[in-house]
Amino acid sequence: MPPTVSIQNVSKVFNPGETNQVLALKEINLDILPGEFVSIIGPSGCGKSTLLRLIGDLIPPSSGAVLVNGKPAPQARLDQDYGMVFQAATLYEWRTVSKNVQLPLELQSVPKAERESRAREMLALVELSGFENHHPWQLSGGMQQRVAIARALVMRPQLLLMDEPFGALDEMTRERMNQELHTIWEQTNKTAVFITHSIAEAVFLSTRVVVMSVRPGRITQVIDIDLPRHRDVDTRETTRYFELVNLVREALRRAEAGL
Amino acid sequence: MAGQTTDQTGFSDVAAGVDAVIPARKQSWFQYYLPSILIFIFAIVTWELFVRLFSIQEFLLPAPSAIYNSLSLNLNQLLKLGWFTTKEALGGFAIGCSLGILVALATARWTIATEALMPFAIAANSVPILAFAPILNNWFGVDNPLSKMAIVAVIVFFPVMINTVRGLTLVDANALELMASYAASEFDTLFRLRVPNALPYIFNALKVAAALSMIGAIVSEYFGGNRSALGVYITQEAAQFRFANAWAAIILACIVGITLYLIVLTVERFAIPWHPSVRGEER
Ligand SMILES: Nc1ncnc2c1ncn2[C@@H]1O[C@H](COP(=O)(O)OP(=O)(O)OP(=O)(O)O)[C@@H](O)[C@H]1O
Ligand SMILES: [Mg+2]
Repeated sequence: MPPTVSIQNVSKVFNPGETNQVLALKEINLDILPGEFVSIIGPSGCGKSTLLRLIGDLIPPSSGAVLVNGKPAPQARLDQDYGMVFQAATLYEWRTVSKNVQLPLELQSVPKAERESRAREMLALVELSGFENHHPWQLSGGMQQRVAIARALVMRPQLLLMDEPFGALDEMTRERMNQELHTIWEQTNKTAVFITHSIAEAVFLSTRVVVMSVRPGRITQVIDIDLPRHRDVDTRETTRYFELVNLVREALRRAEAGL
Repeated sequence: MAGQTTDQTGFSDVAAGVDAVIPARKQSWFQYYLPSILIFIFAIVTWELFVRLFSIQEFLLPAPSAIYNSLSLNLNQLLKLGWFTTKEALGGFAIGCSLGILVALATARWTIATEALMPFAIAANSVPILAFAPILNNWFGVDNPLSKMAIVAVIVFFPVMINTVRGLTLVDANALELMASYAASEFDTLFRLRVPNALPYIFNALKVAAALSMIGAIVSEYFGGNRSALGVYITQEAAQFRFANAWAAIILACIVGITLYLIVLTVERFAIPWHPSVRGEER
């Protein structure tokens, strides 16, 4: 089976040849296997969002290759192989919450009745039942972000690309959302690439944590999370969990120090 | 307050917060407009007193009462004239606005076409197009309402087109990326993202166009036009020193202009209830 995501020697330079040239990513190599949950963690500006955009073929790499499901990334995008959650919720303010979630289904010409029931189902999953007919500006930042998650899940993609989806949530909601996401991942065998600033979240959800460092953005360490596949509230209290949290924290500290 | 019952999810507080942010207009309609009404009455009274106390000659400034007399005396004729000119304004508005929106839709598709066209459009927009009124009068015939419609159409075309292009192109980069992530077609991106994004811009332009269309129609009639046109009537009455009549016609033109504006405003409220300008909040 080919890796779900294969990043081969990828570099990304923004504004090449100009005075504001930025080497955002340098020689990234990363293979993500089917069913893996890979978190990417690193200091602000190290190129996490850029890496996710490259996987989603929203920007092209300056050099190297990105394969998704064994296909070049542009083909995978055309085939709708992934669902993406952006760092900003990016809801359309002229659409209601439910209509926002239905957008990808509309683009695939899914019939109205099915669209509505699937949107309702996804909104229930992110604990937003009853908000179907609200407009995005009537929701808090965290609620908007959960609508964006529902929108990404509604297509039932095999690969989920998520850019700090829970960044705007309070600690308790975040833990509940972590549990939901974990359950979805565990039960549907999805592959996930997940960007976060939270060490606890990364360890709880992942099978592997990728630590990146800044200037230029590169991978400094990859940590296997050898916790049992099933995670729940008790997981957060095991010794191994604490050890792994500390391991990631150490790695992150070294990355920030530029070692 | 709604949602104060506690449940396990803990989302009740959030729900209550949502109710709180929905703008509620506590003032009644009357309270809201009271200051404006008072200012209006004050201005009329001051005007009347000013004219009477200083015995201002009518050719300089007729008193509101004199204008009112003329208005009620000639109401039937004025309404007929007003309707004639309003039709010119409306015709020009319809032609100019639809062309403006269509051209914008056609060119926004091609960045190169837009970039090549926009400088000309912006330059044309700052040209006093009314200066061409005599020429268009010649082309279509002075008596022909089409000559006035043409002027109005040209006047409103540019602001509508420029604003529509802006609305179609100034789209949030993230919103575009979202469409790209769905591999959405150009058509879908246009009608599900660019057009809704452009609606507030278009309505702003339509409001400007509504005001401009009445001005355009009247002023181009000053350069000559049909006997049953309001602008022609104003120039004739002024030439014969019947200033109260001229003023009455001008007031009528103002009322029509404001009405057209209010109609666009009302349509906007129904068309884009989601926009901050309509919800009554600043972005
Ligand atoms: N479109 C762009 N044009 C120019 N430079 C860019 C662009 N996008 C990102 N960059 C630069 O690339 C670098 C990485 O940006 P990126 O958004 O990937 O960081 P990040 O790791 O996601 O940060 P954060 O944690 O704050 O979201 C930054 O230095 C940024 O300035
Ligand atoms: Mg980012």
